[in-house]
Amino acid sequence: MTKQLQTWLSRRETGVALILACTMAGAGLANPAFLSAGNLRDMLVQCVPGIIVGCGLTLVIVTGEIDISVGSLMGLLAAAIGLLTSSQHAGLPVAAGVALTLLLGALVGLVNGVLVTVGRVPSIIVTLGMLTALRGATELLMGGTWITALPDGLRFLGTGSVLGIRVSLWTAAAAVAVTACLVRYTPLGRRIYAVGSNPQAARLAGLSPNRVRLFAFAFTGFLVGVATVVSVPQMSVIESGVGIGLELFVVTAVVVGGTSISGGRGTVWGTLLGVLLLGSVRTVLIFLNLGERATYWERAIQGGFILAAVLLDHVTRRRRAACAATA
Amino acid sequence: MVLPSGGLGAAPPETEHMTRFAYWHETVLAGLLVALLVTAGWLEPAFVRPGTQLELSTHAWELALLALPMTAVIITGGIDLSVGSVMALSAVVLGLTFEAHVPVWIGAVLAVLTGLVAGLLNGVFVARVKVHPLIVTLATLSAYRGVAEGISLARPISGFPDGFAVLGRGSLLGVPVPGLIFAVAAVVFGFLLARTVSGRAVYAIGHNETACRFSGIPVDRIKLMLYSVSGLMAGLAAVLFVARRNTAKADIGTGMELDVITAVVLGGTSIFGGHGRIPGTLLGVLLIHETREFVSWRWNNDELIFVVTGVLLIASVLIHSLFTARGRE
Repeated sequence: MTKQLQTWLSRRETGVALILACTMAGAGLANPAFLSAGNLRDMLVQCVPGIIVGCGLTLVIVTGEIDISVGSLMGLLAAAIGLLTSSQHAGLPVAAGVALTLLLGALVGLVNGVLVTVGRVPSIIVTLGMLTALRGATELLMGGTWITALPDGLRFLGTGSVLGIRVSLWTAAAAVAVTACLVRYTPLGRRIYAVGSNPQAARLAGLSPNRVRLFAFAFTGFLVGVATVVSVPQMSVIESGVGIGLELFVVTAVVVGGTSISGGRGTVWGTLLGVLLLGSVRTVLIFLNLGERATYWERAIQGGFILAAVLLDHVTRRRRAACAATA
Repeated sequence: MVLPSGGLGAAPPETEHMTRFAYWHETVLAGLLVALLVTAGWLEPAFVRPGTQLELSTHAWELALLALPMTAVIITGGIDLSVGSVMALSAVVLGLTFEAHVPVWIGAVLAVLTGLVAGLLNGVFVARVKVHPLIVTLATLSAYRGVAEGISLARPISGFPDGFAVLGRGSLLGVPVPGLIFAVAAVVFGFLLARTVSGRAVYAIGHNETACRFSGIPVDRIKLMLYSVSGLMAGLAAVLFVARRNTAKADIGTGMELDVITAVVLGGTSIFGGHGRIPGTLLGVLLIHETREFVSWRWNNDELIFVVTGVLLIASVLIHSLFTARGRE
């Protein structure tokens, strides 16, 4: 029993959940309005893109790769859905526009995957290149203007509610559930971990590491599409800066949530908690009435969080190694 | 341990490569550069005039300075994504000290030292805490820029004295001052990497870090030094940038890491470590610089430059990996 408790306590998810609870409680004490239902809902809605994209990125990082092009891809897909559905542009039906956007997302993810697996280009290089190229392509597409006149059907995806809960929150919950089930209950999910912990062994066991990696990249691209479709229509216009810095936020959240950057280890739940923690920090900074100054420090705090997470990892690893040595 | 290598023999292509002509990559790059300049001169004769090129070269010095330490860092198998943010932090330190009526030259020294400390912190995390450099520098990419924004409240600081601007805009015997600084740095880096014991150790670390440790090579100390130097050069680049633009702001150097890495990788340095040379990096920097300047000269379109840079980065590694039989680690 105590041993179970010990393993439970030593899990990263528990630690992050505790820090999250402390942050929320502290902010609630300082300003009770922070814990109001409306504010909590707004905070969750803000976290939606991070949660949905984080699910995909967790899989990519578990396979031992990385994808830092997600923010730029979101910008491109935002432009795509706007140009496809806006009555001032193509004016397609919303369903067709959404389907094409998701397809485009999966396709770009697939291209990333093909370059990594068949082209044997390291994923950091591929997605660093994509980060720039896609942002440039988005700006070329938009030509410096905003896309307006979004159809009501699309706006509903961003602002509407079903059973009193925002569509975007339902979608995020579905993304987490699907990814968690995929990872836990399907052969493909187990293969992702196998490839991440030891690609050589996975290959010798008859798995195809490349196919698994391809799936992870395409799935991430698809999820970026999903995140775009439910988060971008929250605004009535679409500009070319959508998704800037998203990659940093999500990678931070995934790493803070306990996923090992060298692959093989990590959970969707950890990522969910990581996103919520980082998202709450953002809101807390605004709520603590530190004034406008505080928001300037947000990026510094995000970066500090990763460094703190890796330091913590280092210390616990050392202690575990010391325990193993004495035992 | 014997593993079926799937037809990707690791050693033979390497030695074969060595016994043939050793500067293939550089030759190809030089050919591309000549082709680009000839085409550019044909389309836009004014672009290739020496006066124009000298004026345009002012845009390249920071990139060129940062590419030198980045080459060494990538040869060890590491990466430094934080260089652009270190530039911002150093620039802001320079600006704030100047506002506090500290003489600008002391401010410049402090800015360079800030870069050194920032790089040292990267190095400590990479070499001592043993975190993947990608994560460390991704974290500090965010953190350093955040601190720069926080302490300066993201406002621009300008009004530096004219004497200071010489550092960025002045020239000595027709050569721009930043160009002179870069030339000295390039010779020093080229010599250190190619002709000294520590330089060889940098390559050895990239090839096989574990073997280096067993051979008594001070792996951690060398890494610590490389990341510190990378920060130091970013600080220096920031000082030159501020001197040229006469403005210090927290958004300086945004996306710089991408340009630098593209130039280095294009120059033939392997992202897996172990391979790369300063002459290749110089050609990579030149190729990137000329391509971007030409695109902006002819089409005056910044967005297109982004697309071209991104595609160039992926294509350069893709071609390299398709033509060498070296497998992924």
